[in-house]
Amino acid sequence: MPSDTGGNGSLVPFSGDSTAVYPLHHGLASPIRRISISFSCGNSLRLSLFAAASAKIVEVKLSGEDNEISDAHRRRIAYGSVAPFAMLQSRRSSLSALLKTPSPYHSDWWEHVLQYSKEIGSLLGGPKLTPSPIIENPSAIVKGGEEATSLKAAWELIEMFYVDKQSQAWLPERLVDWLADYDSLFTSTHETIHGKLVDFEKELVNIQVIEDDPRYWDLLSSALSVGWLDIVAKMLRLHGSYQLDQLSHREIENGLVEAVALLISQMPHLRPESVGKLGECYKSKPDFIKAWEKWRSQITKLDCSPYWIQCDNQQTREGLRNLLQIMLGNSESLCMATCYWIELYISHFLYIRPFTMGIESMYNLAQKCIQLKPRSSTHRLSGLMIGILEENTEVVLAECSREFGPWLVAHAIELLTAGSEQAEMLLHEERYSLGGISIAELHRLVYAQILSSHALTWQIAPIYLTSCMKQGMGLLENLLYRQSVQHNDVLLKNIEICRLYELDHISSNIMKIAGVYHWKHGRKGAGVFWLQQAQDASCLDRIAQQLFDSVGKSISDENFKQWEGMIELLGSESKPAGGLEFLHKYRDFKKSLQKVSVGKSTDAARQAVGSLILLMKNPSTPQRFWLPLLYDSLKLLNWQDCPLLSVSETNLLLNKLQELSLAKLRPQYTEPSLPSDALSSIRLALAINLGRAILDE
Amino acid sequence: MAKELLRLDNGTSCTAWNYSGTRLAVGSSDGTLSIFDSRHPPSSSSLLSTFKSRILEGNIVNIVWLPPEYGDAVACISADGIVSLWEEVAEDSHSLQWKMCKSFGNSSSKVLDVRFGVSSTGLKMVAAYSDGNVRVFELLDSLELRNWQLQAEFQNVIESVSAFGKASCVSASISWNPQKGGGQESSFLIGFNSNTSELNSSKVWEFDQAHQRWLPVAELALPEDKGDEVHAVAWAPNIGRPYEIIAVATRKGLAIWNLGLNPDQNGRLSVERVALLSGHEGLVWQMEWDMSGMTLATTGHDGMVRLWQANLNGVWHQQAAFEPTS
Repeated sequence: MPSDTGGNGSLVPFSGDSTAVYPLHHGLASPIRRISISFSCGNSLRLSLFAAASAKIVEVKLSGEDNEISDAHRRRIAYGSVAPFAMLQSRRSSLSALLKTPSPYHSDWWEHVLQYSKEIGSLLGGPKLTPSPIIENPSAIVKGGEEATSLKAAWELIEMFYVDKQSQAWLPERLVDWLADYDSLFTSTHETIHGKLVDFEKELVNIQVIEDDPRYWDLLSSALSVGWLDIVAKMLRLHGSYQLDQLSHREIENGLVEAVALLISQMPHLRPESVGKLGECYKSKPDFIKAWEKWRSQITKLDCSPYWIQCDNQQTREGLRNLLQIMLGNSESLCMATCYWIELYISHFLYIRPFTMGIESMYNLAQKCIQLKPRSSTHRLSGLMIGILEENTEVVLAECSREFGPWLVAHAIELLTAGSEQAEMLLHEERYSLGGISIAELHRLVYAQILSSHALTWQIAPIYLTSCMKQGMGLLENLLYRQSVQHNDVLLKNIEICRLYELDHISSNIMKIAGVYHWKHGRKGAGVFWLQQAQDASCLDRIAQQLFDSVGKSISDENFKQWEGMIELLGSESKPAGGLEFLHKYRDFKKSLQKVSVGKSTDAARQAVGSLILLMKNPSTPQRFWLPLLYDSLKLLNWQDCPLLSVSETNLLLNKLQELSLAKLRPQYTEPSLPSDALSSIRLALAINLGRAILDE
Repeated sequence: MAKELLRLDNGTSCTAWNYSGTRLAVGSSDGTLSIFDSRHPPSSSSLLSTFKSRILEGNIVNIVWLPPEYGDAVACISADGIVSLWEEVAEDSHSLQWKMCKSFGNSSSKVLDVRFGVSSTGLKMVAAYSDGNVRVFELLDSLELRNWQLQAEFQNVIESVSAFGKASCVSASISWNPQKGGGQESSFLIGFNSNTSELNSSKVWEFDQAHQRWLPVAELALPEDKGDEVHAVAWAPNIGRPYEIIAVATRKGLAIWNLGLNPDQNGRLSVERVALLSGHEGLVWQMEWDMSGMTLATTGHDGMVRLWQANLNGVWHQQAAFEPTS
């Protein structure tokens, strides 16, 4: 079991140490008497602070995201990383299906991860600056412009060590480039070469004779120690001996400066072509070693050259010879020239151990450099780098989690496991202590919860949750359930997500909530629609019941219009809506009765009688409707032209009346609100009809 | 770090957010209920007052939202132990308004806490009374909050034969198993703060469908702590853990319990206290889990808000705290 690394392996990474107490400024005049809490979606916590005279509601977002990146940029990154992440997941699943093995990590897997890494990396900042133009401000030494963020630096560092197998051979050179890009970031916590260069650049206009300024030579050796050859060459060209209006003879001095500059520009590197940078590149190690030895011998030769004695300017002489010492790998000079351990570390690779390949013994060297350059304050990238060099995945993860937040952890896990079976085991092993999930899944859940906290990002949380084998769906269900149904756009999006991930029970629950919401808020049509979508039989039955009730109470034509539409909506399927079949027949009957009342057509009247008989025969017609139905039909029963009901039909209706009078004796019988003579007039009409029908037959 | 959402008047005594965090119900000491609504789109966080009316004579001490499947409705608990259910409806052609649909409790038997749970058969309400009784009510008609039926009445004791004098309870805390859907029987957790030690310890009650009764299936207290008054309980959402997590606060601290999912032959669930955390100077006011059940937030007598989590080894610890300052 891997151990918890110094309490850093917390479930949700809040920034700061584990007992951090954060002040909560409420601005209320009197002290707080009581607090109540409520978790909203994701990581947002709502607090109600009650003071003696007033109260206040505040929202606190619990996340470890740092302030380096603006919210808008963070959201851009969040949205941008969805596609590469989803693509990698689908590749993984198709690969493991193809190979039929639990681990999809075969030899080419890292190439997919590298592509993913490059896509994500490009979201974190713009492309690196193109080489500086030839004609430029001569006082501009340090390149600027690119927006360097620690997040991008961390991503590149992880990519370099864990994923990019092709460049493993020239890892030290990649570190040199990395430091050139990100040295400026370390300025926030301590002195750096970049910081010193920027300061010097600002003062450059005020310096009369640059080679007399000791800082000039210090900075030259510093920049050279970390391999910033272009900067060194450019600064050397600022040397006074290059100026045309020379009063004294400085040809020798100038020649030495130029000789050093030439050697610097010829420094061999073991790396593929690097466009626009000084130095000579060698792809194969034997070529590189040959070139390196030749270059070193030239430096030694220059170091022993008799011209130094002829150089009058002591500052120039000592400065240049110090540069040669740097290039010869004098460890004392390197230590003097660099500001903190990473710079010293890089300088070791450049000048003391140029033939290092891969990660072997890199950690020991790092420790040595840390001892030589101890610091009270360490930058967060420094902690991450130590973890990487130590080859300790847990420390790397803990550093990412504590210092850079859930986004980096959730996405960098793919890189950490790209080439290492051991890391793969560590991060994908299911643990009881985590509730049966793996560390990788845990971090995805944590990140998805952060996404869920914001109205603009919750919709991408499902992508991450569905990549979690064990608990993702559970959290997704909770997330979807907590979305408001009040607004149709959110509701439709919500249902769409349910459909996509086959969460039918959640979507019917959501549709029921929407149905009840609309129904109760007076939008009966929308209510019925959503309840039908939810196939909520019990609610629809209740609505049908309510309709019966309103229909039973009064059957004025005005009312008829109101519920006619409702019956239409409820549909003809009797199954989910119980006695709706009756309502449909009742509507048909009412319609034909209306036709009868406007005209005197016997055909229409016959049709109405047909509907009436169907209704009375139907067992789903509630008993309490019998009397109102017959009362409504009086006109039909008393039809002038001919008897409309046959003998058997009349008998049926008479039987129903008989049943009704029996039902009256039961306690639960409710008297319909009809005129008192209703029953007798129906009975009379039926009797007359029966008589006429017998005569007719 | 903290964003202000709303400032409230003098006399505000309690607040409650609905399921989606878009509506806020606020109760006052003069018996006024107010409702505030978020604007849409939700990027603007300000809240609008949409209802304000004095609904009770006394102080509203707690408000609980009903599950959204049953509409927009709240239960308001008054200081004198009366619970009234209020619902937002538009009846016939009238405009939208909040209406009272039901009330529970009386002066002799005060309601201390109520919580609502959705089961396969419908909406249930558990109410804890000052005389130590627990009553479970069932909603008869899913579209009508007026009609409730008493389904069960019992006391929070494991052995039903145990005899004790007249109980007097100061407070009670109820938490339903937040599990939605699935085949699981509905269950809830209840603990009392009373003068009767048998009633106090928090117990898990599960509905026995076959015999239509509620049975105690677990007791969340060590043998020596069984009489301890319970201040707050909270059942964590379970998104797939092979066990449930429950937080119980007593004067001894904040205990985290793991509850097994499968009953033994006696129908009991296995329990294990995995942490006893101290904070809030012993008196916890409220506990809330986040939607993943990974973070527990608590408030208490020391005036702090504390967040608790388990680390990678399952060890619970305080993750952060917030201290209100003016």
